[in-house]
Amino acid sequence: MNPLFKLFLLVPILFLLAGCWDHKEIERKSYVIGIGLDKGKEQGTLEITYLIGNPEVGSQQSGGSSMEEPSELITINVTDYISARNIANSVIAREISYDLLRVILVSEELASDKDFLRFIYGTVKDREIKRSTQLVVTKEKVGDYLKKNKPKMETRPHKYYEYMIDRGIETGMIPDSELHIFFRVTEEDAKVFLSAYTSSETTEEEKQGPTQDEFYAGQLEVKGETNRTEFFGSAVFLEGRMIGKLNGEENRLVMLLNEFSEISDIITTFQDPFHEQYQLSARIIAHKEKTVKMELNKKHPKIRVTLPLKVEILSDPSMTNYVEKKKETAQLEDYIESSMEKKIADLVERTQKEFKAEPFGWSLYARKEFKTLKEYMTFDWMKTYPEIDIGVKVDVELGEFGRQPKIPGFKGVRD
Amino acid sequence: MKQTKGKMGIREFAAILFLLIGTKITDDTPTYLYSGAKNAAWISMLLISMALIIPTILLLKVLSVHKGKNLHEINLYLFGKVIGNMVSFTLLILGLLTIVMDSSVYVDIIGTMYFTKTPTIAIFAVLMCVSAYGAKKGVEHIGSVAWLVFFYTKVTLIVALFFTFKEGNSKLLFPILGPGVGGIVKTAAQKLSIFGDFFYAGLIAPFVATFKDFRRGMFLTYLILTVELTVALMLFVMLFDFTSVEILNYPFHETIRYIQIGFLTNVETLFFPFWLVATFIRFSFYIYLFVLLLGGIFKIREFEYLIPLVTVIFILLGIAPETPLITISENRDMTLQVLSPLLFVLPCVMWIIAKIRGDFKNESSV
Repeated sequence: MNPLFKLFLLVPILFLLAGCWDHKEIERKSYVIGIGLDKGKEQGTLEITYLIGNPEVGSQQSGGSSMEEPSELITINVTDYISARNIANSVIAREISYDLLRVILVSEELASDKDFLRFIYGTVKDREIKRSTQLVVTKEKVGDYLKKNKPKMETRPHKYYEYMIDRGIETGMIPDSELHIFFRVTEEDAKVFLSAYTSSETTEEEKQGPTQDEFYAGQLEVKGETNRTEFFGSAVFLEGRMIGKLNGEENRLVMLLNEFSEISDIITTFQDPFHEQYQLSARIIAHKEKTVKMELNKKHPKIRVTLPLKVEILSDPSMTNYVEKKKETAQLEDYIESSMEKKIADLVERTQKEFKAEPFGWSLYARKEFKTLKEYMTFDWMKTYPEIDIGVKVDVELGEFGRQPKIPGFKGVRD
Repeated sequence: MKQTKGKMGIREFAAILFLLIGTKITDDTPTYLYSGAKNAAWISMLLISMALIIPTILLLKVLSVHKGKNLHEINLYLFGKVIGNMVSFTLLILGLLTIVMDSSVYVDIIGTMYFTKTPTIAIFAVLMCVSAYGAKKGVEHIGSVAWLVFFYTKVTLIVALFFTFKEGNSKLLFPILGPGVGGIVKTAAQKLSIFGDFFYAGLIAPFVATFKDFRRGMFLTYLILTVELTVALMLFVMLFDFTSVEILNYPFHETIRYIQIGFLTNVETLFFPFWLVATFIRFSFYIYLFVLLLGGIFKIREFEYLIPLVTVIFILLGIAPETPLITISENRDMTLQVLSPLLFVLPCVMWIIAKIRGDFKNESSV
């Protein structure tokens, strides 16, 4: 064989060289699971808290018996989280890596700041931060939040945040708030972005009542020996700045109406229309596509939404046996429809008056009404939204009545 | 080492074309379409495909009466020695610009998205040397390798696009006409050269086993690539929305970094190797075409010995600009615009001359 040809055979080996510059042993890296952002002491600076996971804890090799802590926290004052990596190395022995970053936590104080947008756009510059990272707003300072937030069972932080957020999205208590959605919504500039809201602080006016989802994070009374951190409700961002918040119930309604949500497991309560002292537990299933009709070209723009829902009544504390009573069932259906419609109408009014922009994603339907972007821009969805006449109709179809639909009458047992 | 004189079948030829143009969706080409046609970029793509169907048919017609000749030889025959060489030389220069700029873009992708600490020159050298090695092996080998990896690259692309579809929302495609008909047509006209590789493919026409295979390969890839590029352009908008997709440099790579496959996160490591292989094949073929044309113009029979030399020139030109990102994107946009009308007009002119010279009469009499 020609010696020159042999030499060429070696060329692909060069290929391996390229990998070597970026080669790094896993052991030499320190994986940040969460970044906490607080307002710094000076203007234009941030107080960054790193939540660093310990890969040794709970892994197969150590048999889950390592004596080390599952996570570590450090807080430093810097200008951004890209340069923070090197500064953090004055305390942390290994190279800081964002490869496994799951969540960016922002304090309400910083999120409401007008400069928040400047800080958050740093995430698109960093190669390792993915657009699928969750953006979560904390009620208190993130530094304090992370110190307090010590889960009992999911001690490994990456699992804790993953499960907590995923389950919250399923139940609709918190929205899916990936950075990707934040950027898309902010850049579209037509609606508000909802971010998960969390707190590990308990407020004085804790509530525990019949309507269990009307709270904000930190307000739900939970007893027992558990971690008191709650993920509940959402923070509302308009043009990249936090302007308000929605409670758990409002967030669920938004998720029901929203195009992008993956809400799949909603169990809530309705007041029993025939017995004021009782609450009916119900599972709500969005089984059909909602219809959104728009009339935007007239002087008075109108939106009509129909939300078809299947409702399964899971409890029957008054022992009425709805399943046997046709008239009552029909009334119950009407009652659920009207009570939901009222709640939605209140929420829509609140978004029109308080936020002056919508979280429902109706701008997407509005876009269908226009042929070109220019027409759509001139219409100016965000400006027009507060004046639009909006009507939401809920169309309830009663489904199952629990595993055993019939139960004996209360009086029949207690005679 | 003598170049093998074997011929390629339709499979190899089609695989090369697929990888050549298919990879364009993964670099910054979509950005140029999005900046002009916004969310209606996919309509522009359809228009490009429709507009170029005529020149492509005409080109095939001309090639069909000059079987055994490549594009350069036909140029010489049709336009005469002087003008023919000038036309080919223009094509050569545009080819040079394309290779230099595309390679810079691909090196930038690798450097910024995957290997951040590796020096640019190292990535450049590896990319070019591997491609040069491929080119040195000749077009038949490039074809075989292309066919070998064809399914892997396409399957991974389809998987990626499928998960993009799952994450995306079709309502983001509206308003359907984007910047309006004017904007769409203008963008399409300026960016016709996305399909320019079909024209350059005329250079390897004699290497394909039969002309029938060549023609069928062209049509097949033309059709499928149109669908592929259009769908990909729609999907990126469905995932990112038009305002965001415009400011992303490499939408494909952002996409594969974003999507999750079930419980699997960080899936870009799954797609990256296949993309890399496709990239190597693409540049191997580009370098091969370049030296083929160069050899044709300057009458160098053993043109494959030029490969190491040109490769060095490519590397030097590629690393010359100080901040490649800025210089490249400006120049690339310009090249695309210059190349576009040329690629539309040239086949038509060739056909007209061939018609006047009466080449087609010979055909019908045979």
